[in-house]
Amino acid sequence: MTETTSNFITLVSNDSESIIVEKEVAERSMLIKNMMEDLGDAVLSVPVPIPNVNAQVLKKVIEWCTHHRADPATAADDDSDSRKKTTDIDEWDQKFMQVDQEMLFEIILASNYLDIKPLLDVGCKTVANMIKGKSPEEIRKTFNITNDFTPEEEEQIRRENEWAEDR
Amino acid sequence: MSNFKRAPVIGGARGNVPASLKETQMIDTKAALPAEIISTILDYLPIPDLMSFARTCKRMQEMVYEDSRWVQRLKIIGVWNDGEARKRVEEAMKAKREMMRVRVEEEGKRAGIGVNGHAPGSMRKISTTLFDAGLEQERQRKNLENGKSPIEGFDTMKLSSPVTERPLPTSRAPMLDPETLLNVFTDVRSIRGSARKEYGRIYAALAPFYFDLARSRSHNDPVLFRVYRDPEQQAQMLAHLMVFCKSDWAQGWRQREEKLVTMVGIFETAVLREFEQGYEAWDIDGRMRRYANVLGILNGGHAGIELFVQKHPIFSDREVMGNSIDCLRQASSDAIDLHPSGCFLESLSKKLNEQANIIDRVFPAGEDVFQIFLEKVGEDILMEYVTPLFDEAHERSIPSYLKAVSGIFEQSMQFGFTLIPSINSGNDFPEKVKAIIARVFEQHVDLYLSEELDYFKTIAEKEVSSWESKLSADDATTESFFMGSFNRQADKKDFLTSFKKVVMMPVNVVGNLPLSSPFATNKPIAAPAATGIATLQTPTGPSGLSPSVASPSTPVLDGSRSVTPLPPEAPTDELAAKAALMASRLEGIRSLFSIEIALHLTHAAKASIGRAALFVRLGGQTGEEAREQCLAVFVSLLQIVGNRHVKAGFDKAVDHLAHYNPREVNEHKQSVAPLVTFLELVNVGDLISQMIDVFYEQQLAATRLTDRNDFLDPAVKAKKIYEQMLDERVAAGLNKGIDVLMDEVEYICATITKPTDYNPPLNANGSVADIDIGPTAATLQVVSIVEAHTKMLNGSTDKTMLDVFNQEVGLRLFAAVCKHLKHQHISTDGAIKLISDMNIYYQYIRTLRNQDLLQYFKALRELSQIYLIEAKHAKDMATIIADGDRFYGIFRAEEVYEFAERRADWYTVKRDVERSMYGLGCGIM
Repeated sequence: MTETTSNFITLVSNDSESIIVEKEVAERSMLIKNMMEDLGDAVLSVPVPIPNVNAQVLKKVIEWCTHHRADPATAADDDSDSRKKTTDIDEWDQKFMQVDQEMLFEIILASNYLDIKPLLDVGCKTVANMIKGKSPEEIRKTFNITNDFTPEEEEQIRRENEWAEDR
Repeated sequence: MSNFKRAPVIGGARGNVPASLKETQMIDTKAALPAEIISTILDYLPIPDLMSFARTCKRMQEMVYEDSRWVQRLKIIGVWNDGEARKRVEEAMKAKREMMRVRVEEEGKRAGIGVNGHAPGSMRKISTTLFDAGLEQERQRKNLENGKSPIEGFDTMKLSSPVTERPLPTSRAPMLDPETLLNVFTDVRSIRGSARKEYGRIYAALAPFYFDLARSRSHNDPVLFRVYRDPEQQAQMLAHLMVFCKSDWAQGWRQREEKLVTMVGIFETAVLREFEQGYEAWDIDGRMRRYANVLGILNGGHAGIELFVQKHPIFSDREVMGNSIDCLRQASSDAIDLHPSGCFLESLSKKLNEQANIIDRVFPAGEDVFQIFLEKVGEDILMEYVTPLFDEAHERSIPSYLKAVSGIFEQSMQFGFTLIPSINSGNDFPEKVKAIIARVFEQHVDLYLSEELDYFKTIAEKEVSSWESKLSADDATTESFFMGSFNRQADKKDFLTSFKKVVMMPVNVVGNLPLSSPFATNKPIAAPAATGIATLQTPTGPSGLSPSVASPSTPVLDGSRSVTPLPPEAPTDELAAKAALMASRLEGIRSLFSIEIALHLTHAAKASIGRAALFVRLGGQTGEEAREQCLAVFVSLLQIVGNRHVKAGFDKAVDHLAHYNPREVNEHKQSVAPLVTFLELVNVGDLISQMIDVFYEQQLAATRLTDRNDFLDPAVKAKKIYEQMLDERVAAGLNKGIDVLMDEVEYICATITKPTDYNPPLNANGSVADIDIGPTAATLQVVSIVEAHTKMLNGSTDKTMLDVFNQEVGLRLFAAVCKHLKHQHISTDGAIKLISDMNIYYQYIRTLRNQDLLQYFKALRELSQIYLIEAKHAKDMATIIADGDRFYGIFRAEEVYEFAERRADWYTVKRDVERSMYGLGCGIM
């Protein structure tokens, strides 16, 4: 809309919808942040296209970013140790993730594309929670995976990993 | 519903997922998750769900099975060994390559293609990076196709490891064999491609306990405590679980870990209580030992060690503590009595060694408990003991403080050596003990070292100042003594006698000198004294002593000479020997600086350095500081002795020399007073220098406090400067001294020689009245005075400097004699006297052993013969005058002619001589 305030940035989704976002919120995305650092204030006056994300998903992502705008930046992750830091999903995020599965995947993909690590983590954890406690068949059903094992093969894998079964 | 679908772009991190695997076909709807995201999701899954997920389809199975996922878990547990894994792979590679080579060769033979030829189907497997995955994938596919167990398939992989293949862990029913489960970590192997199976074994062993424990509500619940009844086994299992817990990062791990930690805490407290009860009952080999062991298994046993050390009765044992102030109370104000502290340390050492034994019995191998215990002892007992003592001593008096610090430090080091290492102590036990003692003393060392230096400086300054003030008080009398009191003969001691006294004295005097206290018996005193004498005398040799001087002392000298070879073992401390010698000399020598002072200072420095040097052993920074401080003490010793004392003395002596004028002195004796004083000083200065040299060698170089060859070392530098200063002073003084000596010689020649000496009056009958063919009095006196002075320097300064001095004296003497000769009238009769005079000079010069110089006096002797020639042989005289060779080229004909002019009958023979000379000259021309 107006370019008077330099604290806003305009994002354009792949279905050509413009969304104006506060700079601070948009900076949750490392992609956008790096871009702004590279290009300077010029970015603020030009709409930025986000080609891989549609408006609905983008809005959802921005909603998350707005809520988490003040979070401390996560340090560059060291593979094994940062895993130890993974905590349970907080309440707001749990509610936020109560969307249909398609949307969930879209959010994960968008956060991956926009490089928003915490959101990606929350998404992955949510998916992990969906898998937890399900039998293989249930998992297939949930995620629509085609079984390409023969029953013998499947049984073989089960026996191979008997040690892991819950007792 | 969306599908999992292979993303168009495969993430770099997961790029090694074998591409050749058949892709899972999924119906493409809208969203799809790329592989790396699926991989991230898998990271959040608990193990059982992970396995369910693996069963959904081939692609998922491949992702779950991926080796790095499991290697990571093994690494976190700490059982994965990269090196081992690499070795296995390399071995496998080698075997495989060998196989391939054989196959290629065979194929080549069959097809007629060379080894380098393209063997179809074999290239793919050579790639190293893909090897692992390729092999694994190949094998798995084969296994699946054949319906064989992948583990059996795996077993076909060739390994040279001595580990025999164990029965399949997967087939073992959980909790079947609790004893074996305890050793689950011991035989985990690092094999690429089978990390999942290794982890599976660990998981099968520990997970049941782990999750059971996480679910349990009270400490009685967990199945672990029911399966294992032994506290040792329980501890072992808990320790395993603590490790295992690290590989659990599925959601809720935090609560599970917390639970585990709490449980371990409860268990530890219980064991600790048992241990404590055993401790109180002093049940060393029973409960204490057992529960220390349990704690050790559980988590290294720090809690138990802590408890043991903290609650140890030794820290509250009044009997051990002792009162350090005793050391001060029983001693005089400047001293310290180290006996109480010695007793204290001895009893402490005894107690500690008892404890070492107990510790060995109580604690399992591994942790060095005794070390920890000693640290605490050092901190609580030693420090407590030492600090108030030092503070008190410091307040009381510095000397006692200095003695206390160094003394107790030495005792503590001894104490450290008496400690017996316990079984768990490493080889570096002595070092560690030293470190503990060092820590106790660390806070005191800095203060101590600076006090030591200050103390030494103050003492030295005080000593020198007091001596100087004493000297200036005596100044008035001394001055007159130097300038004109030759009549006070009783006061004045001829240097030669004093020197002789010095030479002889050590044997008689040293015994009653307080300074000789380092020697316990008489025998060592004599020997070192003799050494000193020998060093003094050697350059001269026996012939250097004029008969008159030597005769009384000869027996002594001979005695000392014979002793010389054996001193090496006799004197315990060469420095002390020197000290004894010097102290004895004090009796005879009056000086402008005192050897006594130098001696005192050296002793003080020795004491200071001796004390400070103890700390050098500490090593590290403290040791280095101590070493520097020792050098600083030495340097300040040199500065005070050198600049303040010796230099001032020399300056004064040179001053006296400069003002000496023989004509103002009423009575002339055998020597020139200021020069004697000065030469004495040279001797003393040389002795001090030697003393310092010995001191340096013994106290600094021999103890490795300083490196003799390091020219940057402050001590070496200071020593060089000192020696240089001494040499300069001596040279300057000698320069002046020669002037003075020659003035004196000329004065004697001028005053004592009678005109009739060389020109005896004729009797009425024309013959000489009384022919005395001996030398003149003047000559005798000149020779004796010069000889006396040159002899004084023998052995006291540098040989080369002595040579230069002698040469100069000889030349000047020669000049003086020539000059004197030119003022005389010499008759043929007087010539005999002159010749004997010249012989005396010659004799004397010969003792200097200087060939060049001797030539001059030989020439002089020849010259004196021209006066002997009767007037009627004037022609022959002319020949002699013109004969340059006769005078060794020292006199030219003109000069000889000049001398000839001094003949009493010159005017009668002049014509003849000139005629024959010049006539002869013309003839030659």
